Amino acid sequence: MQVNVLYRPSQTVAQVWLQPNESLMAESGAMMGMSTNVDMQTQSGGLLKGLKRMFGGESFFRNTFTAQGGQGEVLLTTPLCGDMVVLEVGARQWYLQNSAFIASSTTVDVSTQGSLKGMFAGAGLFVLGTQGQGQIVVGSFGAIEPVTVNGQMVIDTGHLVAWDANLQYNIGKATKSGWIASWLSGEGLVCHFQGQGQVYVQSRNAQEYGSMVGRMLPPAQG
Amino acid sequence: MQSEIRHNPDFAVIRVQFDQPGEQVVAESGAMVARDTAVTMETNMRGGLGSALKRKLLGGESIFQNTFTCTQPGQTVWIAPAPEGAIQEMDLQPGQELFLQSGAYLASGPGIHLDTKWQGAKGFFSGEGLFLLRAHGQGKLWFSSYGGIHAVDIGQQYHGYICDTSHMVAFTQGLQYNINKIGGLKSLFLSGEGLVCTFQGQGRLWMQTRNPGALASFLQPFRPVQHSS
Repeated sequence: MQVNVLYRPSQTVAQVWLQPNESLMAESGAMMGMSTNVDMQTQSGGLLKGLKRMFGGESFFRNTFTAQGGQGEVLLTTPLCGDMVVLEVGARQWYLQNSAFIASSTTVDVSTQGSLKGMFAGAGLFVLGTQGQGQIVVGSFGAIEPVTVNGQMVIDTGHLVAWDANLQYNIGKATKSGWIASWLSGEGLVCHFQGQGQVYVQSRNAQEYGSMVGRMLPPAQG
Repeated sequence: MQSEIRHNPDFAVIRVQFDQPGEQVVAESGAMVARDTAVTMETNMRGGLGSALKRKLLGGESIFQNTFTCTQPGQTVWIAPAPEGAIQEMDLQPGQELFLQSGAYLASGPGIHLDTKWQGAKGFFSGEGLFLLRAHGQGKLWFSSYGGIHAVDIGQQYHGYICDTSHMVAFTQGLQYNINKIGGLKSLFLSGEGLVCTFQGQGRLWMQTRNPGALASFLQPFRPVQHSS
């Protein structure tokens, strides 16, 4: 599959070209358009896998798009304005923040990290990990800033997009001086990275944006 | 009259510079950003009350439109849509038709006529408004999107194209479309993909790279909750 990233950095779309009979796996709801020779199938990949994904803040189902009788095209997009990057998977594996996942080659397995640390890291952060070989497309809210970690780095969980699986990460509070101070700092949870590798961060935080706009909306009837 | 679209695709705005007194631009109500003071602005229901009401109720456009008329050479008007996104310009020739998703119309020359077109039962299920706006006549027309605008030439580049209904912005005559679901029975409820338009024929289709419904769904859980006592 060949991925062309168009209309960067705010109105980004991934234009994916598939060879005959080639497939891609995409997050549910990401398809904006496609050529008529592309077939879409909905799969959960098994009940357990689907449940785990749903638990991880993703959709229970994912869609597989396959080009039939010639080359095919699929356009993929995100609900919020932002950028995308295409990451090579194979020699390097990646961890993703759950809402960053857009699509992958079918030869790449993208699944919720099973550890309690990953599942209940808090702040709505669930971690997905890649396995296999191919490409993944990840998206952001806001611009994408590549950050190279050499040694140590602290990154707000709400700004994480993806990071090299070679990096050690630990999710914790933002300050050393206790939970109240951490909460007062407004920084909430942060990810402590250690090692050498690439991290992609997003310049906006979807949770912050949602709370800012959300409280101005008329209340929902509870 | 010269026009320029600036700041595409993020925050597009049209800058119109008039050459001759008497030249006119018609815009959706509320779309004016700025104008020279001496440019006259007249608010009216183009095509009369019946036609305006139909446009409002059925085409998702405002009842009133503003007509800007140049009084001196070199005067300028700036026009912009409400959401962040792109603007596309189109030069319509007599006999050509352009179909617009409700809300996509932004501005046009005085020679452009708009009416609503009943889409039949297929429009009924689209959830995107039952009617498309049909533009015809001669002159310039501008339409806008939420997000960037992506054009696809059907009949040349592609034999046919499928477009999520909430991402459809406009298409030219010569294209036939059907509204349907994609995928098997399971996909009907579970794919997360809404209804799609399948286009065939010969013409150009414009899509928007974002969809306002998706933003609204994202914000929905952040609304405060009022408990009924």
